[in-house]
Amino acid sequence: MNEDFALSQMEQETDQMLRIRYINNENAEFTRTGTGFLSLKIEDEFYPRVQVVRMFPFMHKDEFLSVRTPDERSKEIGIIEKLSDMAPETVAMLQEQLTLRYFTPTITKIFGIKDEYGYAYWDVMTNYGACRFTIQMGGNAVVHLSDTRILIIDIDENRFEIPDIMALSNSERKKLDLFL
Amino acid sequence: MGSEIKMKKTKKINETLPDGVLSLLSQSGRTKQDILYASATDLNTEGEFADGFLLLARDTLFVFKAEPNREKIHYYKGYGICEEQEREQEWIWKAYPLSDIKRLFIEMGVGCNLLVAEIGSEKLLLAMFTQLHKREIAHLVRGVEQLNAGEELDIPEDEAEYCPKCGNMYPDSSRKICPNCMDRRSIFFRVLGYFKPYRIKFAALILCTALTALLNLVWPYLNGTVLYDKILAKNEAFLQSIGVKNGEFLVALLLLVLAMAATKIVLLLLEILQGVLTAQMVVDVVRNMKKDVFRVMAKLSINFYRSRQTGGLMTRVMSDADRITGFFVDGGPYILVHGLTLLVTVIVMFGINPQMTVITILLLPVLVAVSVYLRPKIWVMFGRRHRAERSLNSGVNDNLVGARVVKSFGQEEREVNRFEKNNVQLRDAEIAITYRQNYFHFIYGAAQSIATIGVWVLGVWFLLGDARQDMNLGVLITFVGYVGQLQGPMNFFARVHNWWADSMNSAQRIFEIIDAVPQVQEPAHPKRLEKPEGNISLKGVTFGYEVNRPVLKNITVDIPAGSMFGIVGRSGAGKTTLVNLISRMYDPQEGSIKIDGINVKDLSFHELRKNVAMVSQDTYIFMGTVAENIAYGNREADIKEIMRAAKLAGAHEFIMRMPDAYDTRIGASGRELSGGERQRISIARAILANPKILILDEATASVDTETERVIQKSISYLVQGRTTISIAHRLSTLRDADYLVVIDNGEITERGTHEELKALKGTYYKLLELQTKALDREEKVF
Repeated sequence: MNEDFALSQMEQETDQMLRIRYINNENAEFTRTGTGFLSLKIEDEFYPRVQVVRMFPFMHKDEFLSVRTPDERSKEIGIIEKLSDMAPETVAMLQEQLTLRYFTPTITKIFGIKDEYGYAYWDVMTNYGACRFTIQMGGNAVVHLSDTRILIIDIDENRFEIPDIMALSNSERKKLDLFL
Repeated sequence: MGSEIKMKKTKKINETLPDGVLSLLSQSGRTKQDILYASATDLNTEGEFADGFLLLARDTLFVFKAEPNREKIHYYKGYGICEEQEREQEWIWKAYPLSDIKRLFIEMGVGCNLLVAEIGSEKLLLAMFTQLHKREIAHLVRGVEQLNAGEELDIPEDEAEYCPKCGNMYPDSSRKICPNCMDRRSIFFRVLGYFKPYRIKFAALILCTALTALLNLVWPYLNGTVLYDKILAKNEAFLQSIGVKNGEFLVALLLLVLAMAATKIVLLLLEILQGVLTAQMVVDVVRNMKKDVFRVMAKLSINFYRSRQTGGLMTRVMSDADRITGFFVDGGPYILVHGLTLLVTVIVMFGINPQMTVITILLLPVLVAVSVYLRPKIWVMFGRRHRAERSLNSGVNDNLVGARVVKSFGQEEREVNRFEKNNVQLRDAEIAITYRQNYFHFIYGAAQSIATIGVWVLGVWFLLGDARQDMNLGVLITFVGYVGQLQGPMNFFARVHNWWADSMNSAQRIFEIIDAVPQVQEPAHPKRLEKPEGNISLKGVTFGYEVNRPVLKNITVDIPAGSMFGIVGRSGAGKTTLVNLISRMYDPQEGSIKIDGINVKDLSFHELRKNVAMVSQDTYIFMGTVAENIAYGNREADIKEIMRAAKLAGAHEFIMRMPDAYDTRIGASGRELSGGERQRISIARAILANPKILILDEATASVDTETERVIQKSISYLVQGRTTISIAHRLSTLRDADYLVVIDNGEITERGTHEELKALKGTYYKLLELQTKALDREEKVF
């Protein structure tokens, strides 16, 4: 290997880390791989598989998506500023990839919460169906994303969300009292 | 909810495969017996709940999927695995020959995971699942690796997570203690052991409480029956019985007043005595408990602290000790006393008037119920206030610590608003508590009054009308006194069970620490290093903090005495872990580490630590003076040696610039030292310890270039005549190393001298180039 070449390559890598590249309909083309993933052609580069990661998964869930290489030392290929600016077919493809990475059922109804021996046992209805899960008491299992929005993390780190506690009934909110 | 689906024991999934899956499996000529390992999946790739299975046969991986199922209730961990009715489902399936799978891996998402197979040049999405199944599927992935490598399938049994007796989940699966089923009695007696040295005082305490209870029984009798029915009713027979002349009722009254006063005084004295006894015992017992705990904690292996949050652990231990003794002193003795009081009072009341007693006994449970029902609600609110208080305090703390940032960005106004928000929350919580408490007192007081009024009404009715009832005003007053007497014990018994369970739980936790066995054990008959030279040899060392995830894999390396050995690698590659094994903070799972031919496991801790000293990246300064800190590893060192060590470490100059020089108090409450200063103190410490083997773990990481040069210089003194193992990011630190290894992902990827590694043009070379280049640039700038 040529020494100068190795150095310039390292230099390039560093530069790439500092660069912000936006992905839009013009410079990029996403294609389904047929094996469940997406490939990306951008400018003169081709990535057989890319991962889509949210920069603000709570506050701006469909804006600022980072498109990355999927390996352990994942690198950013580019940023999609607004999902809705992309072509409808691309949006569908990107949504599929986001679905693969983020799974957070939304709690629509609370049937009961039982607090016993250091755990709280939840019995709820979510947008994906009825769930019963367990969280640790006294830890950081309940995260307040805002005054009315909470994220609940169970003992295996599964996630559940209540987007607006005010939308729950009075008696359901009472059950939540322990955590508010 | 919850209780009706308490879990049965976890079942092997192979045995619970649905018939639909089994019949499809038989189409490929397989039966249940061919499945070596199986795991369920619970999501489909559209991100909906759907049943699925991954079945591993000797040469094939089967993936089964069903349609999404919205009716099913999804049980996560904590509820265990439920026996549920099997539903007819349509299954689709695919079989992947293991020989085609180049690699199988789990890709972690947020709340869900993907199982991906590399087949040919393609990456194929096989399944999606929640965190619930991650562990099982990780086992499956490992199983595929084992089978593909031609090994036997060896999948570790998971730790039991549910109590086999009642099905409750263990609060901590490594503890295997079910709070519901634990043997509280034996713990109780063990705690009692702590009171043994104070048995006389303890007996005195019980006696005091018993006397108090007795005198409390006497009081209503004196101020009711005796006063009204005997003296005010001018009962001559009574006068005779107490030996007072006929008609002298004033004398009798005087005697009564004296008796009443004496009762009160004795009660008061007993109370004081109780207080004194309690204070003496509690303080001592708590101290002894804490002493035991601390002694054991000091002995425990680092691993113990890794698996628990240390800060929380300490405070928990401290408050646990208080809680246990609290129960034993304020709770335990009263079980007896209150029980006795309750029994005797009721008997006496029955003796006075059975009908009224029945009324009272009927009404008292109402009181207890009010208390049992309403109290927990207040506790919830206390919890809320506590949380509000905590966020307020941490907000204030944040601001004090970060005052400079707040000011420099001009955000004072915003911080005030943020504070105000928390402040309002605290106020609301306080108001809610006050409101609740008043409500409680009102309800409780009302119930209490009703009970008392009921007794009065009935009593007066008896007094006026029913001649058959032997009822006098004094008796009635005595009776009402007893009714009041009952409430204390009743309330006590209403909550004593919780109290007892809580305190036994605390005791259990304390004993658990006291009983913990250090993972790294000192040998019973340690060998001695007669003439330590400092040869180190590692052979096939494999180690991981968790069993299935090795941090170091099969490390073999020889370090000759007196040489300088350099370790290079990315952060997280396992460098620090490696040196921690040499000083025996942990023991390797496989392989051996020998010093001068003796396994480190055969050396006593004292012998080992005397010969191995470490200067690490996080230097710890203990509370004490500079001199004490330097002499930490060698208590016998004299002043001259300390001074010499400080000089060699390049610490002497900055120490002399402090007004109190070597007597300056440093550490938690003392003077703050900069990173470089701390580093130099710890180097001085190592010099003074004078070990044969010196480990430098990023010893110069947190200092500027100039200080680094000073430290480099002192290190070059330090390394003479010893074996040195040096870990460093900056390769310039390692330029004197005789031998270097590059560690990546827990394996040694490159080894050799500086020149050899440079010629290899691998990772080392790349790093070297990068750093010299950066240095060049720096020089150009200056």
